[in-house]
Amino acid sequence: MWVDIDPGLFDPAVAHRAYNDYIDELEHAAACGFDGVGVNEHHANAYGLMPSPNIVAAALARTCPDAAIVLLGNSVALYNPPLRVAEEMAMLDCITGGRLVAGFPVGTPMDTTFAYGQNPATLRERYHEGIELILRAWTEPEVFSFSGRHHRLRYVNCWPRPVQQPHPPVWIPGGGSIDTWEWCAREGHVYLYLSYFGYKAAQRTMKGFWERVREAGREANPFQAGFAQFFAVADSEAEARDLYRGPAEYFFNRCLHVYPGFADPPGYKTANTVRAGVEGMIERAAREAAQRSASNAAGFFGKSGLSFDDMVEAGYIVLGDPDQVAERIVELTTSLNVGHLMALCQFGDMGRELTMYNTELMATKVLPQVSDLFEDRWENTWWPASLGGAAR
Amino acid sequence: MVAGIPRRRGAVSAVGHDNVIRTGISEVGARRTVDFRGARAVIDERGEGTTVGYLHGPIGCPPHHPFLDVVAERCRVAAPSLPGCTGSDPCDDLRGIHDWVVAVSELVDLAGLAGAPLVASSTGAMLALELAAVRPDVFSHLVLVSPLGLWVDDDPIADPFGTTLTRQRELLTADPARTAPFFDDVEGRDASGLADDGVVRYTTRTAAASLVWPIPEFGLTTRLHLVRCPVTLIWGESDRLNPPSYLERYAARLTNVTATRLVPGAGHLVEWDAPALVAEVLWNVIGLR
Repeated sequence: MWVDIDPGLFDPAVAHRAYNDYIDELEHAAACGFDGVGVNEHHANAYGLMPSPNIVAAALARTCPDAAIVLLGNSVALYNPPLRVAEEMAMLDCITGGRLVAGFPVGTPMDTTFAYGQNPATLRERYHEGIELILRAWTEPEVFSFSGRHHRLRYVNCWPRPVQQPHPPVWIPGGGSIDTWEWCAREGHVYLYLSYFGYKAAQRTMKGFWERVREAGREANPFQAGFAQFFAVADSEAEARDLYRGPAEYFFNRCLHVYPGFADPPGYKTANTVRAGVEGMIERAAREAAQRSASNAAGFFGKSGLSFDDMVEAGYIVLGDPDQVAERIVELTTSLNVGHLMALCQFGDMGRELTMYNTELMATKVLPQVSDLFEDRWENTWWPASLGGAAR
Repeated sequence: MVAGIPRRRGAVSAVGHDNVIRTGISEVGARRTVDFRGARAVIDERGEGTTVGYLHGPIGCPPHHPFLDVVAERCRVAAPSLPGCTGSDPCDDLRGIHDWVVAVSELVDLAGLAGAPLVASSTGAMLALELAAVRPDVFSHLVLVSPLGLWVDDDPIADPFGTTLTRQRELLTADPARTAPFFDDVEGRDASGLADDGVVRYTTRTAAASLVWPIPEFGLTTRLHLVRCPVTLIWGESDRLNPPSYLERYAARLTNVTATRLVPGAGHLVEWDAPALVAEVLWNVIGLR
């Protein structure tokens, strides 16, 4: 499904339909009342089709006038120079009048080291240097020179500059690296744990992050964290099981087939993460895919795939009627202490109509029950001020 | 003083020795550490007599090394572990091939190998050629096992890292079991020791990957004509990583190839599949029979 998937499988007619469905669905989410709409970046990937999230973000910038554009984000190490990221994100912030959230993921091994040929041993250093350049490009008052190990520019002069000052809120999507926790904790960026395996499996990772926040001398403000979770909402639990079984099985047993050889190139993880025995989200996906393949003599899509009931039981998907889902969101957000929730309302081969239905129920029946969870006690300085975020 | 090459005792003094087995005035089977740019580099030393060198391939230079044992029967062999490999500290200064070549040049001197014959394998062979191109007298002779460094689009080398560990073993040696010292846990190690071993393996793979990612071709073809010392090329007939067709490409570009040897039944790391054969080639080269 990633890196070396047969290019002959690509059908431009399908892509035309899919891209327009994606944009329609995100616009619908904004219109229904979601606080923000998000896009991310993957390469040589058949289930995401999003090598350039900025293109779709630009399409949403004007059609979602009341929502944050949550760019999750630009894999900084893949841009040469990263100044391009600073420029395009500043453009988006200007077009939206200050509604951009700037996400900077390291990127998966498949995207960065295999599809884009980046050296895994130097990827994180290149990434951090790129972010340094971007933040300086947004904030330095004068034209400046930048001589780094990986990027050298004699005249850095970012036009435009972002509307938000000193810069848009910075979110760091991560999949389980200890060093990312530490860096976010130290720098005060949002740590956004992107895992497809649900909130129950995320406890250890988020516990690790909050420990480092405290070690960095900061309070455990839940708005410094976020989490991605699949949701499947219907008028009843029985209906939800009936509607979402197929798409869920399609995603987990087909889309998330990561070849183990691409999941963990040497150097992608730091020695700290290796020594701690922390398994990242991609590694877990690859391991489970390999286990399923090994146990299924009849072929990959056979009965040995993860069952839908297993997925629900394990928390991969939060499913039920609006009240049930709201109750689980309270459990999720309080147990992980996360104030930003990335609601994945489309997954697998879920079509447009069902996506719109799921999205609308989520926005109109679920989120109103949970949207104020932490706001009585904590300030959210990681959200665009024009949309209610506190000043930074 | 060992016959042929003086030991550089001054460079040894920084950190000390471990795993030393002493017989008389010599140290047999010692893995000593030296100061390399303020960090630790490990040099494996075995045997007595004429000094020869060994520059390892992608699995580093683990202590259990049948090839070095065989060579040490008749020679003194010094085998530095490159930065990040098998106990040597990683080095953040290595950004490109030039940086690696300079680092190898320093390590060769620290190991007392300047002017000595060198056996080098795979990635180590690539580095040895690069160094010999810019420092023509550094080695008296090169015995090269399946050097990386050339690339032909229609005849690509295999990807040793975009694959499972099981497949990596198959790419490295004809008999995957021969790489056990690198891939497998050592029995009897406690949890902490196993964690340490795991980190050493990971950093060794990281160093090897860093050197060759994503394609091991950095312009060596434009420099091969500068290698003046005699070169012997050894290739495994069953080399699944670096096709034997590259042997002729190297032979055509080097100006002083004295012998080539295609080894039946051997994979990429011939010194692991056929240690006695590679040692025999070396002894012939240096006149030891």
